[in-house]
Amino acid sequence: MFENILFFLSAALCIIGAAGVVFSKNLMHACVLLLASLFGIAGLYAVIGADFLAAAQLVIYAGGVVILMLFAVMLTGGSSDNSNKFGIEKIPAMGSTKTYVIAGFSVLVISFTVLKLMANFMKSYTKGELPAFSSTVEKIGTLLVTDHVLAFEISSILLLGALVGAAVIARPRKG
Amino acid sequence: MTSYTLDVYMPVIILMALAVGLVVVAVFVAQVLRPFKPSALKEQAYECGEDPVGTAWSNFNVRFYVVSLVFIVFDVEGALMFPVAAIFRKFVAIGEGAVLVGSLLVFISVLVFGIIYCWSKGDLDWVRSFQLSEDQVNQLKGIEEKA
Amino acid sequence: MSPSINDYLNQFEAHRKAIGFISEVLGFDASGLVTFLVFAVASFLVVNVMALVGGLGTYAERKISADIQLRQGPNRVGPYGLLQFLADGVKMLMKEDIFPAQADRTLFNLAPLLALIGVFATLAVLPFSSGFTLTNLNIGVFYLIGVSSLVGVAVFLGGYSANSKWSMLGGMRGASQIISYEVPVTITILSIVLISGGMSFGSFVETQGGFPHQWYILHNPFTFIAFFVFFIGMLAETNRAPFDLPEAESELVSGYHTEYTGMRFGLFALAEYIEVFVLCGVAAAAFLGGYKVPFDLGNGVVFVEKLGLPAIIGKNIGQLLQMGSFLTKTLFLYYVVIWVRWTFPRIRVDQVMTICWKYLTPIALFNLVGITLWVFAFDGQSIWEVLSHLGGGAHGGGH
Repeated sequence: MFENILFFLSAALCIIGAAGVVFSKNLMHACVLLLASLFGIAGLYAVIGADFLAAAQLVIYAGGVVILMLFAVMLTGGSSDNSNKFGIEKIPAMGSTKTYVIAGFSVLVISFTVLKLMANFMKSYTKGELPAFSSTVEKIGTLLVTDHVLAFEISSILLLGALVGAAVIARPRKG
Repeated sequence: MTSYTLDVYMPVIILMALAVGLVVVAVFVAQVLRPFKPSALKEQAYECGEDPVGTAWSNFNVRFYVVSLVFIVFDVEGALMFPVAAIFRKFVAIGEGAVLVGSLLVFISVLVFGIIYCWSKGDLDWVRSFQLSEDQVNQLKGIEEKA
Repeated sequence: MSPSINDYLNQFEAHRKAIGFISEVLGFDASGLVTFLVFAVASFLVVNVMALVGGLGTYAERKISADIQLRQGPNRVGPYGLLQFLADGVKMLMKEDIFPAQADRTLFNLAPLLALIGVFATLAVLPFSSGFTLTNLNIGVFYLIGVSSLVGVAVFLGGYSANSKWSMLGGMRGASQIISYEVPVTITILSIVLISGGMSFGSFVETQGGFPHQWYILHNPFTFIAFFVFFIGMLAETNRAPFDLPEAESELVSGYHTEYTGMRFGLFALAEYIEVFVLCGVAAAAFLGGYKVPFDLGNGVVFVEKLGLPAIIGKNIGQLLQMGSFLTKTLFLYYVVIWVRWTFPRIRVDQVMTICWKYLTPIALFNLVGITLWVFAFDGQSIWEVLSHLGGGAHGGGH
């Protein structure tokens, strides 16, 4: 019962946040709604038993990336300027009616094909028993140092690249 | 590896709901109790008694952004090291500690190189100092001698 | 060791009988409902106690600062001025809610709410005692670090949404201070995870003992330094002096608090005081032995066996002793935090950043490497055990 509540809460937060990010006119509001959406994703991770991933999502995304985006928005002029700088009053649609009709038919055809293919799997679908949740931290840790140790080390080099790149880009230009 | 049910997350949800409830109750109670007489003067931004001039946004220095970028990198590093740290004792107990020590040290040393690079290039300074080049120094000296 | 307060209660016959009785009355299996009720009551209790701690924290701060500055402090409202915080609370409720004309309404209201959500969610994993941990998540301390970074977002939003120059500067500085100091704090917690072998608070505390030489602070020289790194980082994370530049009264006219009035300001202040308590609790659990009582009195076995008390009373006495131990250590650290505030001058913003990136982070990384090598070389024993093994013969000492 609580699983369902947790799932619906997280899913609602995720979808409403994402919809808000897309449809919001204010950039700061969009960032805060993104925070809500990432919180929802962390909840979804928790529902399927990936507890370490949920906490990592909170630490890195909610605690880091959102603040990074907020700072970036602040640095590039704030978001209080809602006016349309180029004088274009209405954003023109991309493409003509013909394009949209052909695209719609293609979507229908492709989705029918895919569903027919997947029907072979889904006929034998019964709700099985989930194994009991256990702590994923130790499994991830063991894998990171035995099977995937190269990925672990290369990720540190990737982080080094990100650090140096960020420092270089943010440096003031000479002269 | 202890197994758990999802009930362990119940206090988290309950506490967050309590926080929302506390704010709602506080704001509603306060709306009943407090006076509400807005005036244009009260609603001005506070600038120590002067009339506020201009918008609040000013050109923020890019150092805030550099700080947050460096923070993200170290945050991800810490998050990646947490699972490895959690099983360290187990590996040491069975005698395979050297593998973990090795991989942890390689990981940390790569990022230490990063911080040394940022430090030496002056990215971690809050107030960036810069070196004048030779002819800029001579130019300044020339101006000083003329004046 | 129980993953949550429910499992602690389940070991008592009386609780199980009560669940059975309620199930009969209601007609369906009531264990889920009882779980929810237990969690709800316990969370409500914890929130109330924390709000009280927050309020008394303001009182304690004023009294201690008065003592340091040779004056009286509040002594009119109630005996020794103890009810001063209630008077302050009533005052804040009744102040007019001025809403700046150019502020962003949604974000202005949202910022204190986010701060409070972040702080309350950290209360779920705090180890008050072995039975009364609301939930002993496997990822306990990592989750706590994640959720308390919501407060940084809240500080920034508070500063931005009020749309005044003081608030904006205060908010930016506050947010960059909070995120910078998360790095040495995270690395220090990582080193403690290395020693304890798990990320849950239960594993932090259970691998320590009751006596000071069994605490992690005296485990090896690196953890001793790590405690001070954590303490300084904790001061900066909660914007407490000497790192309180974001709310610097003499510089930024209260920084990101400037445009907040009445109850919203009260909620921000409450969030800050509770966050100080939570982080002091984390320091107590990670470094000072948490809820462990000397002579192992905490698990109630002594009371049940020697004194012949029934299990339900004996274990609960043990739990109370453990709670007392945890609260003593946390409140002592809280006192030190208040003491530091009224002793040191405020640090400039560039000094704040220099301390973090050029001093604390390298020291924290050095500690991490040192602790890794120590645990590897000595198989996780503390320095006292190593010395006693070297000194005497074969002592069969476990932890």
